[in-house]
Amino acid sequence: MPRSLRVRLLLGASVAIFLALAAAWVAMTLLFERHIERRIQADLIRDGRQLAAALSVAADGTPALEREPGDSRFFEPASGLYWQVSTPQGTSSSRSLWDQHLPEPSDANSLEWKSRVLQGPFNQQVLLVERFIRPGRAGADVLIQLAHEQRSLQEAREEFGEELASFLGILWVILSAAAWVHVELGLRPLRRVRDEVETLKRNPRERIAAGHVTEIEPLTLAINELADAREKDLSRARRRAADLAHGLKTPLAALSAQSRRAREAGATEAADGLDQAIAAARSAIEGELARSRAAAIRAAPGGDIAIALPLIESLVSVVEKTEFGSKLVFEVDIPEDLQLPVASEDLLEIMGALIENAARYARRRVRITGQANEGGVMLVEDDGPGIESEKITEVLTRGGRLDEAGPGHGLGLAIASDLVDATRGAITLLRSELGGLKVTVAWPAPNLTARR
Amino acid sequence: MRALVIEDEAAVAQDVAQALSAAGFVVDIATEGEDAWYKGSVEDYDVAVLDLGLPRIDGLSVLKRWRSAQRTFPVLILSARNDWTEKVAGIEAGADDYLGKPFEMGELIARIRGLVRRAAGRASSTIEIGELVLDTHRMSATFGGRPIRLSQLEFRFLDYLAHQNGRAVSAGELAEHLYGADEPGDSNAIEALVVRLRRKIGPHVIETRRGFGYLLAGDGG
Repeated sequence: MPRSLRVRLLLGASVAIFLALAAAWVAMTLLFERHIERRIQADLIRDGRQLAAALSVAADGTPALEREPGDSRFFEPASGLYWQVSTPQGTSSSRSLWDQHLPEPSDANSLEWKSRVLQGPFNQQVLLVERFIRPGRAGADVLIQLAHEQRSLQEAREEFGEELASFLGILWVILSAAAWVHVELGLRPLRRVRDEVETLKRNPRERIAAGHVTEIEPLTLAINELADAREKDLSRARRRAADLAHGLKTPLAALSAQSRRAREAGATEAADGLDQAIAAARSAIEGELARSRAAAIRAAPGGDIAIALPLIESLVSVVEKTEFGSKLVFEVDIPEDLQLPVASEDLLEIMGALIENAARYARRRVRITGQANEGGVMLVEDDGPGIESEKITEVLTRGGRLDEAGPGHGLGLAIASDLVDATRGAITLLRSELGGLKVTVAWPAPNLTARR
Repeated sequence: MRALVIEDEAAVAQDVAQALSAAGFVVDIATEGEDAWYKGSVEDYDVAVLDLGLPRIDGLSVLKRWRSAQRTFPVLILSARNDWTEKVAGIEAGADDYLGKPFEMGELIARIRGLVRRAAGRASSTIEIGELVLDTHRMSATFGGRPIRLSQLEFRFLDYLAHQNGRAVSAGELAEHLYGADEPGDSNAIEALVVRLRRKIGPHVIETRRGFGYLLAGDGG
C-alpha cells in the first residue's frame, strides 16, 4: 500500500473507474449485438412473410413462388443472405444458396417464427429463422427458412467494440483527471493544517485558526490542545528553573562567605577554587534568569506600550548611584511622547542592561537618544574604548551561551540582545561619534506585527 | 559608626554583620520588616543594609516609611531579585545603592563605606541662589519649590558654581574640579552636563558667558 494518501485515492479511483468502464463496455457490446441481431431477425421475418405471401404449391407438391424477394443479395451466390422454401416433395431456394441447402428444421411442426444460430451453407455461421405454413386446408406444410450470415454481425460488433473502447478510454482519462482534481481539492484543507502546524512549530504561541472543515476541525482542536499543554509544560519548567536559580542565590552568598573565611584562615588555594566555582554558578544563574525572562516575553500576548522618557530617567537615576555612573554625565534626548512597543518592565531590563554596560566603559559621557522611527529606536552611546568590530558578533552571540560569558564584560549586552530579540526588535553595535560603542535598538511598527 | 542589617536569612545576616564589625561598624540585626522599621525610626544609624523580601512588612515599604518620616541615613538594598524594575523601585523609594545577591562581601563593604563617606561629608546647610535651593546634606535641590532629582555629578557642578559668588567658571576649571586635576579635561562632557541640567531645572538657571564660562543666574554679578 503506498504511503501517500493522494496516490492511494488516485489509484483507487482510477482502478474503480476502469472496472466500471470495462463492465460498461462488455454490457454495451452485448446490447449492441442483441440489437443488431434483432434487427436482422426482423428483416428476415419480413422477407419470410413476403415469401409466404408469394408462395403457392404446385399439384405435384413442389413449392412455387410468384415472385422472389427483391434484395440483390438473394441473387449473388454465397452473399450471406439466403432463403429456402421446401415441402417433402421439393425445394425452391434463392440463387445465393447455389448448390447448398439450409439445414433441417429443429421443430417439425412449428407454425411460429423460430430463430437459431448454427453452421450453415458455405461453412458460414448463420442466423436462421424458420416456420411452417399451411397454404391450403389439406395441403402439406411448407417450410420457409431464411438465413443471414453472422460474420458481418461479428465485424460490426468488433468495430463497435473498438470505437466504444477508445471512447471509454478517453472517458477514463477524463474521469481520472476529475478524480485527481477531486483528491487535490479534498486534501487542500490538510495542506492548510500542515502549513499552520509548521508556523506553530516555529512560534509556540501560534494556534491553528478556527473555521476548518468539519472533518478536520477535531484534529485541529486536538493539535491546539496539545500546543496548549506543551506551552504550559514549558512555562512550568521555566518557572521552576527561575525559582531554582533564585533559590541558589542565598546559598551562594553563604558559600562565598565560607570562601572568604577560608582565605582569612590562609587556605588561599581552596578559596580561589571556591570563588571560581561560585563565579561560574553566578553567571549560570544570571544566564538562566535572563533566558527565562526572554522566554516569558515571547510567551506574553504582546501589544504593550511603554512611554520611554520617564523609564529611562528612572534607569539613569539608578545607574547614577553606581560606582561607575556617579562620575558620568548622562545625556538623555528622548521625545516626551515617545512610545515603544514593549512592556515597561522589559524596556527597563533592556535599557538598564545597555545603560549600565555603557556606564561601565564610558569615561565621561553616556548619551541616550530616542527616535520615533517605525516602532521606535533607542540609542545608547558612550565615550569609552568601544568594541573592535570583529568582536561585535562574538559579544552579541553570547546570548546563546549566556552562562559561558561570565559576569561583567559583555554579559549586559548579551542579555539585552536576547531580550531585544524576544521583543521582536533588532540590535546593532556600531562605533559612536563620542568615541565608544553605539548600541541601536530598533523595534518594528506594532501595527505591522499585529496585522500579521 | 552604627549600621543596621535587615535580612531574614540568618546565615547571610550573620555574615554581613560580621564583615561590618570587622570594618569597624557597630551592627544591629533585624530579621523582619516591623522590627526593622521600628529600629530605623528610633535609633540613629549611619547606614542600613536592607533586604527586600522580608516577613511582616516588605523592605520597600519599610524604606518608604523611613523616608516619609525624614529618616535620611543612607540605605543600601541587598536583594535576590536583580532586575531593573526592582532596582528602579528601590531607588525611587529612596535607596542610595542597590546590590544583587549573590554578592562579593568586599564589594558590599566598599559600597557601604562609600555611602557613609558621602553622607558624612555633607554639611547640614542649604544654599539659595534665586529660585534654586541646594540642600548640601541630602545632596538634593529644589527649583521654585519643585524638587529636582540630581546625580552626584550634577549636584557637585551646581554646588561648585554656587560657591563662586557670581564668578564665571570655565569648562576646564569645572572639569578639573569634577574629575580631578590628573585627568584630562573634557569640555564636551561639561557642555553635556549643562544641557542636561538646563533641561532639568529650566534654561535660564545656568548662564553662559562667552569666553569666560558658566555662572548661576541671579548670583551676585
